[in-house]
Amino acid sequence: MSNGIRVAALDDIPEGEGIAIDKAITGTADDIALLRDTDGSVWALDDTCTHEDASLADGWVEDGYVECPLHSSRFCLKNGEVQGLPATRDTCPHRVEVRDGQVYLFPNQAP
Amino acid sequence: MNVVVVGGGIAGLSTAAALRAGGFDGDLTLVDAGEFPYDRPPLSKEFLAGTKDLKQIALQPQQWYDEQRVRLINQSTVTALRGGSVELADGLRLRADRVVLATGGGAARPPIPGADSPRVHVLRTVDDADRLRAALTPGARVLVVGAGLIGAEVASTAAGLGCEVVLADPVARPLAAALGDELAAWLHGLHARRGIVTVPAGAAAFAEAGGGIEARFSSGFEPPRVFDVVVLGVGMVPETALAAASGLKVARGVLVDDRQVTSNPAVLAVGDAARTRRGSEHWEAARHDGARAAATILGTRPPAPTAPWFWTDRHGRHVEVVGHMEAAARVVVRGSFDAPAFSVFGLRDGLVVAAVAVDDPNAVRAARRMIDRRVPADPGLLADPSVNLRALLRG
Repeated sequence: MSNGIRVAALDDIPEGEGIAIDKAITGTADDIALLRDTDGSVWALDDTCTHEDASLADGWVEDGYVECPLHSSRFCLKNGEVQGLPATRDTCPHRVEVRDGQVYLFPNQAP
Repeated sequence: MNVVVVGGGIAGLSTAAALRAGGFDGDLTLVDAGEFPYDRPPLSKEFLAGTKDLKQIALQPQQWYDEQRVRLINQSTVTALRGGSVELADGLRLRADRVVLATGGGAARPPIPGADSPRVHVLRTVDDADRLRAALTPGARVLVVGAGLIGAEVASTAAGLGCEVVLADPVARPLAAALGDELAAWLHGLHARRGIVTVPAGAAAFAEAGGGIEARFSSGFEPPRVFDVVVLGVGMVPETALAAASGLKVARGVLVDDRQVTSNPAVLAVGDAARTRRGSEHWEAARHDGARAAATILGTRPPAPTAPWFWTDRHGRHVEVVGHMEAAARVVVRGSFDAPAFSVFGLRDGLVVAAVAVDDPNAVRAARRMIDRRVPADPGLLADPSVNLRALLRG
C-alpha cells in the first residue's frame, strides 16, 4: 500500500476531465474521481457530489476546481472544499502521485 | 454596521453568505418565515415525490449559521422598515444600517371562478408541497394548469407517483423563447410519451362536482373534466407589500438599480422580489443578486456578469439552459433528439448566444464559457458530437 494503487495511465485522463475509479478497487466508501486540471496536474476526490447523486468525474475541471455536472456546485481539487451552493458539504480529497506516466492513488490519505 | 436580510430563500441566504465571504464583520441577521431556510427547486421534484425531506433540502446546516455568525430569526417576518431599524411581527426591533429585501414571491392565483376550492393547489413553499403530496395518491385524477417549469415538473412528479395527469396550457410549445421552438416541442412531447394527456387550453372555471372538481377549459373544443386535484403553475407574483408600505418604488417588483439598491439608499432588494431583467426569475440569478448586493454593501467590485443559467428535470431528463436563445439567429443541433444526450446551440453574428443541453452537462458548461469569453463559433464543429468542446474553447 505504501506505493499506492496504480489506477490509470496519465494519458487516460484528458486535461479538464476526469475518470471514476470504482470503490471495489480503492476500498473506499465512495468511488474516487481522478480529475486532471487544465495545468495537467491530477487530483482525487470522493466521486459523488455532496448535494445529489452526480459523479464529479463527469464534471468540468478547470483552474483548480471541478464543477458538478448536475447543479454546478464547485469543489477545490486540492482539498475538496465546496465553493458554493447548492452543495453545502466538502468532499474528501485523496493523495495522488504520478510516476512514469502512471497514476497512483493513496485512498484516505491526505494530499 | 448592522445588516438585516429579510427572507431566507436562495437570494437572502446568498446575500448573507457573500457578505461574510467578502469580509463583512458587523452584525448580520436573517429573518425567515420558515423553520429554517430551504432550497425551492426540490419542491416540485424530490421533495414532492417524498424522496427528500425538509432537512435534506436545508440551504445550509444549522452549524453554518453559528460558524458564519448569522443570527437566524426563524418563523418571523419583518412588518415595517423604520429609519435605521426594522420591526418584527412580535414587536421586536432590530437595528439595521442596511436592509436587504429578499421577500421572494408568491404563486400567482389568477381570478378563475371556483379556484378558491381546497382542491386547487399552488406550489411555492414546503407547506404547499406537503399539502399537494398528500393529495397525489396513486390513481388520483390530477389537472396541472400551466406547462412551464413548475407545472411540467409537477406533472412529471405526479405521473411518477401513479396519478392520472392532465396538463393544460394554451401555449403550443411552452418555454419556446428560452429553448427554441424545436426543442420546446420535443420537451413538451415527453409528457404524452409518459402517458400524460396534454390539453391545448387554459382553465376557465372550476366547480365542485360529486367527489371531485370539474374544470372547464378556455377552448370550446375541450369538454369539461372532473379531477381530484388541480395545481396552478401559472407564474410568480413578487412579494412587495413591505417595500410598498415602506415607501419604496414598486412596479411589479421592487425597483432596483444595477447594484440592487432600491429608491431608498439604505435598502437593497434581491431575487424574485426585485424587478430586474426578464427571465431572471431563476435560482442562479437570485444567487448573483445576493453577491451583487453584498458587494454594494461592502463597497467592493461586484462579480463579473455571466450568461444566465437554469435547469429543469422532468421524466428522468436533466435539461440545462444557458444564455438567451431568443436572441439566436440560427440554431445548431449537436447530436440527435433521439440520443440519450444532446444539445442545441444558438448562434448570432459568429458567436454562441445560448445553449440547451439534455443530459449533456458539459455541453452547457462549455457553451457558458464560449458565451462569456466571446469565443468565435464554428457551426460545423459545434454540430459534430465527436469534436471535443473543451478543445474548441481553447481555440
